This record gives sequence, structure tokens and C-alpha cells, in this order.
Amino acid sequence: MTQHFDSTKKNPQKSNTCVFHNADGASQDFKSPHDISNPKLPEERFQKILEATPDAMIMINKEGKIIFINTQTEKIFGYRKDELLGQLVEILIPEPYRNRHPEHRNKYFLSPHVRPMGIGMELYGLRKNGEHFPVEISLSPFETGEEKTALAAVRDITDRKRFELTLQEKNVELENANLAKDRFLASMSHELRTPLNAVLGFTGTLLMKLPGPLNAEQEKQLKTVQGSAKHLLSLINDLLDLAKIESGNIELKFEKISCQSIIDEVASNLAPMAKNKGLDFKVIIPKEDLIIKTDRRSLTQIVINLTSNAIKFTEKGKIEVEIDKIKVQARPYVIIKIMDTGIGIKTEDQTKLFQAFQQMLIPGVRIEGTGLGLHLSQKLSALINGKIEFESEYGKGSCFSILLPLA
Amino acid sequence: MVKRILIIEDNPTNLELMVYLLNHYAYTTLTATDGEQGVAVIEKEKPDLIICDIQLPKLNGYEIAYILKNNSKFADIPLIAVTAYSMVGDQDKILSAGFDDYIAKPIDPENFVKQIERNFKVK
Repeated sequence: MTQHFDSTKKNPQKSNTCVFHNADGASQDFKSPHDISNPKLPEERFQKILEATPDAMIMINKEGKIIFINTQTEKIFGYRKDELLGQLVEILIPEPYRNRHPEHRNKYFLSPHVRPMGIGMELYGLRKNGEHFPVEISLSPFETGEEKTALAAVRDITDRKRFELTLQEKNVELENANLAKDRFLASMSHELRTPLNAVLGFTGTLLMKLPGPLNAEQEKQLKTVQGSAKHLLSLINDLLDLAKIESGNIELKFEKISCQSIIDEVASNLAPMAKNKGLDFKVIIPKEDLIIKTDRRSLTQIVINLTSNAIKFTEKGKIEVEIDKIKVQARPYVIIKIMDTGIGIKTEDQTKLFQAFQQMLIPGVRIEGTGLGLHLSQKLSALINGKIEFESEYGKGSCFSILLPLA
Repeated sequence: MVKRILIIEDNPTNLELMVYLLNHYAYTTLTATDGEQGVAVIEKEKPDLIICDIQLPKLNGYEIAYILKNNSKFADIPLIAVTAYSMVGDQDKILSAGFDDYIAKPIDPENFVKQIERNFKVK
């Protein structure tokens, strides 16, 4: 390989200049602007710097002729040094950029400064074998003894572009998968509810005795059908909610709401259920309105789940729902407590409490429910920045509470 | 005069259920099993109230709502969606499409007719 850079030995008096043989054999001195600020920079070092960069370094003169390249240029463009030196730099530029390039190059020499080339444009290089490849180019003026030159650092970004493209494709794939999942959930919900409409509908008309009277046994059996169908419906609802939460597709609307309004809604829904079991149902709320910023639907569902659990697992005594303001590490929180005098939870069962389908088995007691209530409540509570805690003593009762930051 | 209620529903069992309930409360029922048939019945019979599924062949519930609510002859007829689309957001979407009311499936047979009746406008 021809050595185009001469070492200082040849020109020991000019330690801050690089000597270069151009294509027609004449040697030229180059002085970088950096050389002026650092006159001691030896030319081997300058050469080493150019050789060490991962980019192709190409120097051209005012006429656009290539007067220096580093080894990397040969690798990237596929030419030998002697094939490029003295050629117009446009040999490395594919159509349609090639035609306009001399114009850009002339402009650059009118006001040379360090800058990236073609900002916001996709630039391409042309290899000897005709292949186009994406590049990134930065330009700097470079002063030689006699004339102004420009040094271009050309980076082959084929790999980066390929990764970017792959990443984009993956993102689109993920988005599509998410949409497909959403559509699947919506169809599932629709398709499962449609047959249930007929089951619950006609069981209802029979129990309303619209077609005619029922004997006691028929009525009892129909009620079992109705109960099971309703159970199935709540399972479907809970599972779909869970699936929505898991896929991150649940829509939350954070707004300022008063905790009292939530408790009122829950109490009016569930107090009758407690009364039916002969339980006292008590609501303790402070006079001042406690305002929190939360998703109303999620919070209501959590409080309904916790309260209906309390009623389900309590045979005698009372249910108390209490809201209060407390401070945790000097920060104000609202605490909603649901206390019962029910069967309580054994210590060994407490760890499994929030897992899906971990309903407690109580000898002789058949508990209605999906086994998803607490699991779902905990997931929902995490979404609204809440925290569910509990204390329980087997045989005495439980207290579940949800802690929410005060607005 | 006995009020006439049109039910547009493609699932025969669910259609039968609603017809059964409404007839029991002495309403006259008209039925259609796809969107186009539904619109044809509305034009011919001008019912007093329309119960409409959302997922329907030929014209879906949204398209039916669009046609009716943009026609002064039919815009006043109460249009009620009875649909198994009952996930979060479905109700808002359906009401903003022009439906006057929304009932989720599975319906509650004891209250269904009452829920329908609250849509008769007091004249």
C-alpha cells in the first residue's frame, strides 16, 4: 500500500504540519486549525488520530478532489487509496445527491465551519460495488499551507438503521398485539354475555311466574339455576376486569371526589345485604369533606369488594365502615376502614389472601363469590396509588383498610 | 291505544325473551333480525319505541342510530340500545352515538319493562 502520509523525519523542521502526496505526486503541507492552537502536535499523532476513528475520514480540496483518506475509508467504500486520491469526491455519492453536491461543496468553502452535513436529511454513500448505504457526515474546515480544504468524517450507519427499523417493526407488532388483545376481550365479553342473557332472562320469567305457577321444588331448583348463572356472570365480569388491568388497558379518570360520596354509594348498595343477615351496619364519617383525587369507579369497586366480603364472612355482630384522616410519615392520607366481627382469618391463610381463586374454605358455610375479589381489589388499588392493609384475628373478626393520599 | 315497540335483534332466543316480556305487559311487538330490515319496518310502521342491539348484520346499531337521528320523521322515536357490549366506555360511546337509553345484557327480567317504559316521552 502506498504511504501517503510522510513522517516528520522527512520534514523535521515542520513538526506541526502533515505532508501529503497528492495524486499527481506533488507533496502538500497541511496545517490543521488545531495545529495553530497546539503547535507541538506531532504529525504521527494526527495521522494516528485519523486512523483510529471508526469513521471514514476524507479530505477534499476546493475543487472537490480527494486529497487524503484513512484506511477506514477503504474498508467502508471498497476502493483502494490510489483509486480515490485525485478523484472528485462525488465518486462516493450516489444519485440523485451527486448532481447537487458540487453546488453544496462550493457554498461550504465560502463559509467553512464545523457542522454535521444534511441535518434532517437521509444521506447515502456509494460503495465501489454500486451499493448505496446510509451515512452520517460531519464536516470541518481544515487549513493547509496554501489552500483551504475540508475534512469529512463519514460514518456507515447501515447497522444502526437496521436496528432502528427492526425496533420500529417490533413496536408496530406490539401495538397490533395489544389491539388484538383488546378486541379479543371485547368479543369475549360480548359472546359470553349473550347466552347468559337467555339463561338469566328465562329463569327470571319463570320465577316471576309469568308462564304459570310453580311448585315449591321447581322454584327452589330455578333459584339454584339463577344463582349459578349470576355467579358465572360475576366471574366473567371479574375476569374481564382483571384481564384489562393486566394488559394495562383499563381507562382511569382521576378526578377530585369526596370520600363520603363513595361510602354513601357503597352503604346504600350493601346495607340491605347486611340487614338481611341480621347484622348491624354502621358508617362513621367525619364532618369535614375528605377530598381525594382518584378514579371513582376503581375506588367504589374496591370498597364494595371489601365491604361485601365483610358481610359474607360475618354471621353475627356488626360491620363498620369508617373514613378518617391520618398522617403517614408526615404526609396526609385518607383511610377507609371496613371492620367486621366475623370469622377472621387464620395466620396460615393470611399470606394467600390476595392470590386469585384462594377462597377460604369454612366448614359448613357455603360462600358466594368468585375468589377474585381481593386479588382484583389489590390490583385496582395499586392503579390508584392506594394500599390495602388488614388485621385479623381468627374467630374475632377482620379489619381491612385502604390508604389513599389526600388531595 | 296500545303502544307498538320494534325490537331489532339477531339472536332468536334473546328476541323471544324481549317479545315475551313486552307482550306480557300488553305491548304490541314488531321484530326485525337485521339492521336493514329494522330500518324498513321503522319507515313502514313508525313504531312508538325502538329496542336495538348493537352488533347486527347488514346495518349495525350505530348506523341505525345515525340514520334515525338524522331524519326528522324518526328522530323523536325513543331509541334504546340493549346490548352485550358492557365494558367500560361502551355506555358512553353508545349514548353519544344518539341512543336515548342503554340497557346492558344480561337484562334483568323483573325490571326490563320498567326500564323501557321510562323512555316514553310525556306528551
